Amino acid sequence: MNIIELSGISKTFGSVLAVNDLSLEVPKGSIYGFIGPNGSGKTTTIRMIMKIMYPDRGTLLVNGQDHNFERLENVGYLPEDRGLYKKMKIGELLQFHGKLNKGSDLPRQINYWLERLELKAYKDKKVETLSKGMRQKLQFIATILHQPELIILDEPFSGLDPINADMMKDIILELQEKGATIIFSTHDMAMAERMCDYIFMIYKGKKVLDGTLDHIQNEYGNDTLRIQSDMGANALNGMKGIESINNFGQLQEIRLEEGADPQLILAELLKITRISKFEITKPSLNDIFIRIASPERKEAVNV
Amino acid sequence: MYKIWTLFKREYRAAVKTKSFIISLVLVPIMMGGGFAAMIIMENNKDTDDKHFVVIDHSGLMTAPLQKALETRNSVDIFHSHTGEKIDAAYVVEFMEPDIQNQKAQQLALSDRVESQELHAFIEIGPDILHPTGEEKEAYLKYYSQHSFNDQIRYWFQNVVNNNLREIRAAELNLDEAQAQDLLWWINVEGMGLVTVNKKTGEQQEAEKTNEMQSFLVPYVLLIIMFMLVMMSAIPQLSSVMEEKNEKIAEVLLGTVTPFQFMMGKVMGGIGVSLTTAAIYVTAGVFTLNYMGMESLIPMEVLPWFFIYTILFILMVGSGMAALGATCNDNKDAQSLTFPGILPAIIPMFLIAPIIADPTGPLATTIALIPPFTPTVMVMRMASSVTIPMWQPVVGLIGVILYTTFTVWIGARIFRTAILIQGQKPTFATLYKYAFKG
Repeated sequence: MNIIELSGISKTFGSVLAVNDLSLEVPKGSIYGFIGPNGSGKTTTIRMIMKIMYPDRGTLLVNGQDHNFERLENVGYLPEDRGLYKKMKIGELLQFHGKLNKGSDLPRQINYWLERLELKAYKDKKVETLSKGMRQKLQFIATILHQPELIILDEPFSGLDPINADMMKDIILELQEKGATIIFSTHDMAMAERMCDYIFMIYKGKKVLDGTLDHIQNEYGNDTLRIQSDMGANALNGMKGIESINNFGQLQEIRLEEGADPQLILAELLKITRISKFEITKPSLNDIFIRIASPERKEAVNV
Repeated sequence: MYKIWTLFKREYRAAVKTKSFIISLVLVPIMMGGGFAAMIIMENNKDTDDKHFVVIDHSGLMTAPLQKALETRNSVDIFHSHTGEKIDAAYVVEFMEPDIQNQKAQQLALSDRVESQELHAFIEIGPDILHPTGEEKEAYLKYYSQHSFNDQIRYWFQNVVNNNLREIRAAELNLDEAQAQDLLWWINVEGMGLVTVNKKTGEQQEAEKTNEMQSFLVPYVLLIIMFMLVMMSAIPQLSSVMEEKNEKIAEVLLGTVTPFQFMMGKVMGGIGVSLTTAAIYVTAGVFTLNYMGMESLIPMEVLPWFFIYTILFILMVGSGMAALGATCNDNKDAQSLTFPGILPAIIPMFLIAPIIADPTGPLATTIALIPPFTPTVMVMRMASSVTIPMWQPVVGLIGVILYTTFTVWIGARIFRTAILIQGQKPTFATLYKYAFKG
């Protein structure tokens, strides 16, 4: 069953078409990753799901219902721009957000999450005394405190160090296990690859990718080579059948031209250098993202 | 309603817990009372330094009477009747012969003496002051000082001169003293309230004397309290909403509450703060007036109207301010929008005098029925000593309820659209667009 169903949604701001005829289905209990370059329409889509903005066209159902101008119940929302009342004490602030979201068993929940995210010692301190990363964690607690069934996180990992990002990732997966559906937007492709059941990419307001990672990668086929050799990128100079090279120094990621034979490339390379790794693989999400949103592609789309 | 209540509680607590609230709670009555206290202190601390004058009496009639009046004043009137303490200034007068040839030079020399503060003033009494009718008569009483318009001492000379002139005129008519007094008897008009019937006992109540306190002070104080409550609760909505918009708190909350609930929670918080303040001030005022034996000044029948109108007024101005706050991006925007937002509260302040002077006149009645001005003007009129036809506050209230519903509706529409839009200047055109086109 789908918790969210968007069909033919469009939204314009003045003359800018922010979201263009977007349809999307989010299955209950899944983790859905929203990716796309800055200004592509991710936040507008999320705001429309949250009923903070209303689409100009199309229908938007949450749990099979059109909520019109009412607020969604049982939803946790972490916007891209974080905002907390700076003068409030942390405990009071969580109590306020918990009550506003009609949460139950709040005192126990507040203590549990403060402990879990290592903020217990700050419970009676004012929000303004916290660092940026701590505020981010606090806002995350405020988002999930009332145990929502749908959690929408706009860039949840931005500004977090790897330890805290990992901690938050574990919590998100845990919440999914308990039955919550999670939608999050991110620029961290590796995180999206590892965590998401489904990935949706929006570009210039239009849906360009939607499906499981496997499904998306299969669309592109095994057109990628990962090579480690003694000569490094120099070994690939003038080589035929290569569309582009992404040089990581120790490793080169190659996109093959259509119809190019990887075996021929391997044979050519073996003539001039020693190969320590040669992998024929599907493109990474990062690579797919760049292929879609690269400047050449932008020009192609604009034409 | 639950969400509005939760937002209300946060707003209310955040406001009343601040130092500025507690300070304003104490400071405002002190400032208001301070004006009256200063007046009383000034009354009690009169300047008792002797004042020097020169009188040039062209008529030759007033020298002796003035000397007599000065003697009484300087030996009796300026001393407290019980304690004997000097409570007013003595007037020391030098009578100078008029210099007919060099009248201007004489005036200039005396003016110099006033300027050097040797003299307080000099007075010229015209030659024909006794019988001022007829052509080319010179009948005048001139008081030359540095601030003669504000100088109340000139009335002392005016009274002495006129009283003596009347006595001389009466004597010329061969009237005796009793007849003269009878002729000159002057009656002051007494302002009275209306005769009423006590609703409980059914007895007819005597009309009471009205006084300045009742006709001016009571409406004035109620107006000031209402104005202050609006300033305290509705006006800060603008900067508060702007801050929540700029610090992105608004978007976090808008995931949970509708813009209308958000705006109402804030405005209700403001009303709560105002009612707390009003309750404290009104209770303190009632106790103080009771203690001073001036309970008749408390307009008990107006107080319920005062509270109803104040609540609606804050709702009206507060929702407008919250909506304007949602359109602001920085303090500059906020400053330019504050003034138009508080106009409904400010305009009646300029009209206090004509409204209090004639509370049932066409100006006061018309303004009282224009919804943005109704709350202040109607309460001011009701608190004055005249009786306002009962239909007026009722019709006014209906108008205010309709108008407030309209401003809350428009405010919510502007708020809903503007709260997430960054960088758009709040012009009249954008406000219109937000309000009517979304």
